[in-house]
Amino acid sequence: MEVVVQITFGVIAVFILVAAAMVVSVRNVIHAALWLIACFFGVGALYMLLEAEFLAVVQVLIYVGAVSVLILFAIMLTRQITGEGVRQLTNRWPVVLAIATLLFATVLAPTLINQQWNVPPAPPLGTPEPIAGPAELGRGFVNEFLIQFQVVGVLLTVALIGAIVIAYEERARRRKVLTLAEELELKRLREQTSPTVPAPVEAEPVVQESRSASER
Amino acid sequence: MDALTIPPVDLGLIAPLLVVVTWATGLLLVDTFFIPVGRKKLTGYLAIAGLVVAGLVGLPLWGVSGSTFGGMVRLDPFALTLTWVFLLIGILSITMSLDYLPRQDIEQGEYYPLIMFAVSGMILLAQGADLIVLFLGIETLSITLYILTGFAYPRLTSEEAAMKYLVLGAFAAGFFVYGIALIFGATGSTRLSEIGAYAADRDLGDTNLTLLLGGAAMVLIAFSFKAALAPFHMWIPDVYQGSPTPVAAFMSVGTKGGALAALVRLLFEALPTLNAYWLPVLAGLTALTMVVGNLGAIAQMDVKRMLAYSSIGHAGYVMLGVMVAGEQRGPEAFIFYILVYALSNLGAFAVLIALEHQGEEAWQLDDFAGLYQRQPLLAVAMAIFMFSLAGVPPTAGFMAKFYALTAAWEGGLPWLALVGVLTSAIAAFFYLRVIIRMFMTEPEGEPAPELNRGLTIDIVVAAAGTIIIGLIPAPIFALVERSAVALGG
Amino acid sequence: MLANYAIVGIFLVAAISFPLIPLVLAFFLRPKRPTPLKTSTYECGLEAIGDVHVQFKVQYYLYALAFVIFDIEVIFLYPWAVAFQVVGLYGLIAATIFLLMLFAGLLYEWRKGALEWV
Repeated sequence: MEVVVQITFGVIAVFILVAAAMVVSVRNVIHAALWLIACFFGVGALYMLLEAEFLAVVQVLIYVGAVSVLILFAIMLTRQITGEGVRQLTNRWPVVLAIATLLFATVLAPTLINQQWNVPPAPPLGTPEPIAGPAELGRGFVNEFLIQFQVVGVLLTVALIGAIVIAYEERARRRKVLTLAEELELKRLREQTSPTVPAPVEAEPVVQESRSASER
Repeated sequence: MDALTIPPVDLGLIAPLLVVVTWATGLLLVDTFFIPVGRKKLTGYLAIAGLVVAGLVGLPLWGVSGSTFGGMVRLDPFALTLTWVFLLIGILSITMSLDYLPRQDIEQGEYYPLIMFAVSGMILLAQGADLIVLFLGIETLSITLYILTGFAYPRLTSEEAAMKYLVLGAFAAGFFVYGIALIFGATGSTRLSEIGAYAADRDLGDTNLTLLLGGAAMVLIAFSFKAALAPFHMWIPDVYQGSPTPVAAFMSVGTKGGALAALVRLLFEALPTLNAYWLPVLAGLTALTMVVGNLGAIAQMDVKRMLAYSSIGHAGYVMLGVMVAGEQRGPEAFIFYILVYALSNLGAFAVLIALEHQGEEAWQLDDFAGLYQRQPLLAVAMAIFMFSLAGVPPTAGFMAKFYALTAAWEGGLPWLALVGVLTSAIAAFFYLRVIIRMFMTEPEGEPAPELNRGLTIDIVVAAAGTIIIGLIPAPIFALVERSAVALGG
Repeated sequence: MLANYAIVGIFLVAAISFPLIPLVLAFFLRPKRPTPLKTSTYECGLEAIGDVHVQFKVQYYLYALAFVIFDIEVIFLYPWAVAFQVVGLYGLIAATIFLLMLFAGLLYEWRKGALEWV
C-alpha cells in the first residue's frame, strides 16, 4: 500500500512539474493557460492523496472551475495576444537561472544537512483540532472560527464592489491618458521649453457608452 | 460527533467594528438605490455619521478588557484608543474627499462605503488576537485600498498605481499566508496567546522552533510591506503619486496604523520569547527606513512624492515605539505618534488638494512659491503641518518625536534613537524648503487655490489639533498612558 | 481510507482506456488515402476568414468575476450544510448573516446594471 501511494505521488508530482514547466515555456498564451489548468488538477490530486478530500474538491471547483475561466477571459480581453514570435526569456537567462538556483540551494541546503530523516517530528504543543472533513469544518465555521466566517463574507462583498467599480464602470467612461512615465516626460518637456506647450491631450473616450446607462 | 458547545459571543466587545461594517453595507445599498447621481455628497455625510456613531458606541467600552469569539478578538484600551484614531482618520479622509471627487469628475457613491470598509479592516487589525483574523483584517484593508487607488481611472496614472499596488500587495499577502502555515505547523495554533505560550517553553534548536522562526520571518515581511519599512518600500512613491490625493492621505496613515498595531500584538503576545531574533532585524529595518525615507525625500521636487518618502521615514519613527512595546513607554509612543502623524499628514494632503485643479496637479515645489501672498491662511496651515512633520517644538510633531525617541532610548536602543535624531535633522531640510518657498518667494503662476467647506474644516481641525496637542499634550498623554497599561508585556 | 480511492483509480483508468483503445486500433487499421478536399477543415461551407482570436466584451469578464466570488461563497456554505444537523439554529443564523452580507453585494450589482447584457 505504502509503495502504491509513493508511486502515485511520484506520478502526480512529475505531472505537476511538467505542466508547470510548460506554463512558462510554451509560446501561445492560451496554451499556457490550459497547462496551468492541468497543473491545478495535479495539485487537486495531491490533496486527494493527502486525504484532504474537501480541499481537493475546493481546488477543482475554485481553481479549475472558476479561476481558469477568469484567466482565459482575461486573455480573450486583450487586444493583441502575445504571439509565437515573442521571446519569453531575456538573453541573460542563464545568469538568472544560476542566481535562482543558488538562492534556492541556500534555502534548501540547511534543511537537507540538518534534517534527521525518518524521525517522526515532535508533535506541536498545542493539539490542533483535527479538521479533516467538511462536517468538522462546518462546525468550526459557527463555533471557533465564527468571526473569520463572517469577515470572509465582508471581504467577498468588498471584492464584488471592486469588480464592478473597476471592471464595469471603467469601460463606460474611459479616456486615453498618459502613463506616469509619459506624464513625467511631458512635464520635463514643458519645463524645458516655453510654457505654451500644449497640455496633455485628452482624447475621445475609447468606448462610447452613455454614462447614464451605467448609473441606472 | 459530539454536540456543539456554543462559545460565548459578546458582540459588545466588537461594537464599533459591528457598527462600521453594518453601516457601510447599508450605506452601499442606500446609495445605489436612493441617492441620485448628482447628490453623492449625501452618501459622504452619512458615512461620516456612521463613523461618528461607531466612535460614540465605543465610549462605554472604555476600561473594558476582554476577548470574545473564542479568544480570536480582543478588546482592551489599546485597541479602543486606536479604533478612535482610525475612525478620526476615516472622518478626516472623507471630509477632504467630499469636494475633491466631483472636482476630479470621479464621484461615485461607492467611495464612501469603501472607506468605511477599510476602516473596519483597520479596527479588526487593532482588535485581532489570531493570525487568521489579522490576515482577514489586512486583506479587507488592502482590497479596499486597491480599489480606491484605482478610483481615478480616467487618469492612467491611477490605474498604474492600482496595478503596482495590487501585484506587490498580493505578493505580500502570499508571504503572510505562508508564514501562518509555518507557524501553525510549528505550534498547532493560530491564536497569538497560544503561540506565545508554546514558544515560551521550548528550547532553541528544536525543529519546530526553526519552523516558527521561518513563519515569523515571513509574517514580518508581509507587515513590513504594508507598513512600508525600508527594503519593502519601493511601491510607496508611485502608488501615492498616482492614487487620488485623499486616498493617498488615508493610506499613508491608515495602513501604517493598522499594520503596526497588529505587529505590536504579534510581537509581544506571540513572539516575546523570540525577542533575541527579531529585535536586531527590526532595529536594522527601522534604521534603514528612517535613513532611506528621509534621504529619498530630499531629492523630490514634487511635494506629493516628497510626502510619500516622508511617510516612509515616519514609519521608522513609529517603529521605534513598536519595538519597545514591551515597556510601558512603547505602546504609548506608538499611539501618540500615530495620532499626531495622522493629524499633520492628513492636513498636509488637504492643502495639496486645495491646490489641485481638475486635470492638472499643482504638486511641484514651484506651485507653492509665494503661497503666503495669495492665500496667507493656507500657507500658515501648511507651515504648521510642515513644522509638525519636521518635529519643530511648538507643534505636536515635536512631542511625538520626542516621545518615540525617549521610548527607544529607555527601551535599550540608544543607537537607534541617535539615528532617529540625525535623520530628523535631515528631514528638517526638505520640510523647511516648502515653508521657505511659500513665504520667501514671489508667486509665479496664478493658480488660485480652491478652498471649500469640507477642506476648510479638515485643515482647521488638523492644524488646531497639531497646535493644541503640541501646547497642551497632558490630556492626550493621560489617554495614551491608560491605553498602554493593559498591553505591557 | 485511501484504499477506497483505488477503486476510483481503477475505474478512471478503465474509463479512459475504453474510448482510447478503439481509437488507437482504428489508427493502425484504417486505410489512409487523403485528398486536399478531405483534409480541409470543413468539407462544406465557407472558408474561415480572419483570426481565431477575437476580443471579448468586458461583460464576459465581469460575469466571470461575479462567478468566482459566488463560487467561493458556495464553498463556504457547503461545510455548513454538511454539519447542519449538528450546528442547528445557531448555525442557521450564522450562515444567514453571511448570506445577507453577500446578498447586499448581489443587490448592489443588480442595481448597478452589471447583470444586464449590453
